[in-house]
Amino acid sequence: MLVELKVNGEKRSADVPPETTLLKFLREYLDLTGAKLGCDVGDCGTCTVIVDGLSVNSCLMLAVKATGSNVTTIEGLANNSELHPLQKTFEDLGALQCGFCGTGMLMSAKQLLDDNSDPTDFEIRDALAGNLCRCTGYTKIIAAIKDAAKILRA
Amino acid sequence: MATKPTKDVIDQKVGIQDTDNSLTGALRVKEDHPVIYPLSLPENDERQATPAVGQSATRSDARLHGLGQTQYIDDIKFPNMIYAKVLRSERAHAKIVSIDVSEAEAMPGVYATVTGKEFPTNSFGPTLQDQPVLADTVVRHFGDGVAAVAAVSEQVAQEALKKIKVVYEDLPVVLDPEEAFKDEILIHGPKSNTYASKVIKKGDVKKALAKADHVFTNRYKTQFVEHVPIEPHASIALWDGNGRVTLWSSLGRITLGREDISRTLDIPQSKVRMIGTIVGGNFGGKNEITNEPILALLSKKTGRPVKCTYTRGDEFVSSTIRHPFIMDYTTGINNDGKIVARKIRMLLDGGAYCSWTGTTIGKGSILAAGPYNIDNLQVESFAVYTNKTTTGAMRGFGAPQVCFAYESQMDEMAHALGIDPLTIRLKNTFREGSLSPTSQTLHSVVVEESLLQASEAFGWNRG
Repeated sequence: MLVELKVNGEKRSADVPPETTLLKFLREYLDLTGAKLGCDVGDCGTCTVIVDGLSVNSCLMLAVKATGSNVTTIEGLANNSELHPLQKTFEDLGALQCGFCGTGMLMSAKQLLDDNSDPTDFEIRDALAGNLCRCTGYTKIIAAIKDAAKILRA
Repeated sequence: MATKPTKDVIDQKVGIQDTDNSLTGALRVKEDHPVIYPLSLPENDERQATPAVGQSATRSDARLHGLGQTQYIDDIKFPNMIYAKVLRSERAHAKIVSIDVSEAEAMPGVYATVTGKEFPTNSFGPTLQDQPVLADTVVRHFGDGVAAVAAVSEQVAQEALKKIKVVYEDLPVVLDPEEAFKDEILIHGPKSNTYASKVIKKGDVKKALAKADHVFTNRYKTQFVEHVPIEPHASIALWDGNGRVTLWSSLGRITLGREDISRTLDIPQSKVRMIGTIVGGNFGGKNEITNEPILALLSKKTGRPVKCTYTRGDEFVSSTIRHPFIMDYTTGINNDGKIVARKIRMLLDGGAYCSWTGTTIGKGSILAAGPYNIDNLQVESFAVYTNKTTTGAMRGFGAPQVCFAYESQMDEMAHALGIDPLTIRLKNTFREGSLSPTSQTLHSVVVEESLLQASEAFGWNRG
């Protein structure tokens, strides 16, 4: 089935079997491996990408369903000259250890800050409820999101 | 600084022992061979200077992590790469009567299959080599691998697994470690299910318990814990035309892995190249090989690179997990809160295979008495096979389990005697120069300071 969509602002398309998930489509057909496969059942959130302004588990969404959509992946977060403030604060505050959950965390955080420029701790925790991390204990991740929000508001 | 009591016994055994109670391979402290640690360390200015303390540091790999550019195994692909899946036993304990892979092999898209009998040496393990790469005669837990398929896609490989016919003959199952300890149902060979033990003795526990003002006896149990690394186990094998095998793996111990590959495939280590890539979470669960030899053999058969990424389900049933402990603590304590004797018996649920049980029983036993000065101590620990998921390394190797027990009992004793939980700990805790249960003189001991500072910080005495 032909899937045509915009990924990080670029028009992309591929002919894929109908059961192909958006995650597989991104990783295997477009070589965008930033979104990871952790559980394949929507529990861990490491596959999180933003589809038309909503963060989704790309392992649970069929690629066909995303036809015509605007998809933002971790590869679209920084531009050629600078990091997104979230990438900067995650790095500075040690919110990334093994890094495997990081890209999904960053995408969930980005969607939160797109909608809410000054989130409370509770709102941050709520936005990250679908993203599991086994290294950090979340504290630094929450601190990094608060710092990034501050930078973005300035 | 000299070590003191020379009558102490430290005796650790791994491997099923003959009934003559021999101490082959055991570590023993004898009167004429005291363990003397090089403990007079220089306390000069240079050693005291710790410029890194208080500084903020960033990880050198964090930039690429944040950009999504770090390459984990599953992000790597090679031309002509094919994908493997492993068929896992749905029986806890059964004889394998036959395995028929012919239908799976005939399926379009399937390149090759492999079973346990095809490995030159079908066993591996970091302590005892008691685990088959793929079970060929007996499956010992739900999740034991029995056959593998390499196919054009993961989906085809998964479908092909359904066409493999395995005939099992069920064997009696033992799940409770206490039952396993009785040796009524044997899991590995004719001798015993107990495959590791450790004994530590110090002073005279019996006499001291009899004289103590109070004796507390409590049982503590812990449960299985899976590491759940967010990155599942993954590896890629390529057996090239020159007879060399290259493995890209999420394995944390590549030199140990290379030994196991060499052994199972019967090729010299010089022909094995292990490439450890960035690991997406280990926590002890990626400390030994899993399906690397399977992929190597599948690559040899097909001439293609073969990748296998565990599903989350594979991760739970076939990777190692934390040992559950059953811990019996008998502690003699005086009215003033001073512990005079402690007797500990521990039973570790070892699961189907040994894995890192040797290290776990060792560390768990040494630390079982807690950071407390106890003159009369006896620790006896045993690890047994059960028909459950293999237990192995996980953060602390047994230390968290025993910590739960000794600190729980501390609280129970404090409560019963009406002593403040902080006071009872301060009364017994290690101090500079204290001897550990295995007679190591301890230096830089700051338990007391830490307890006082921490309790001050969280307002313990402020009510």
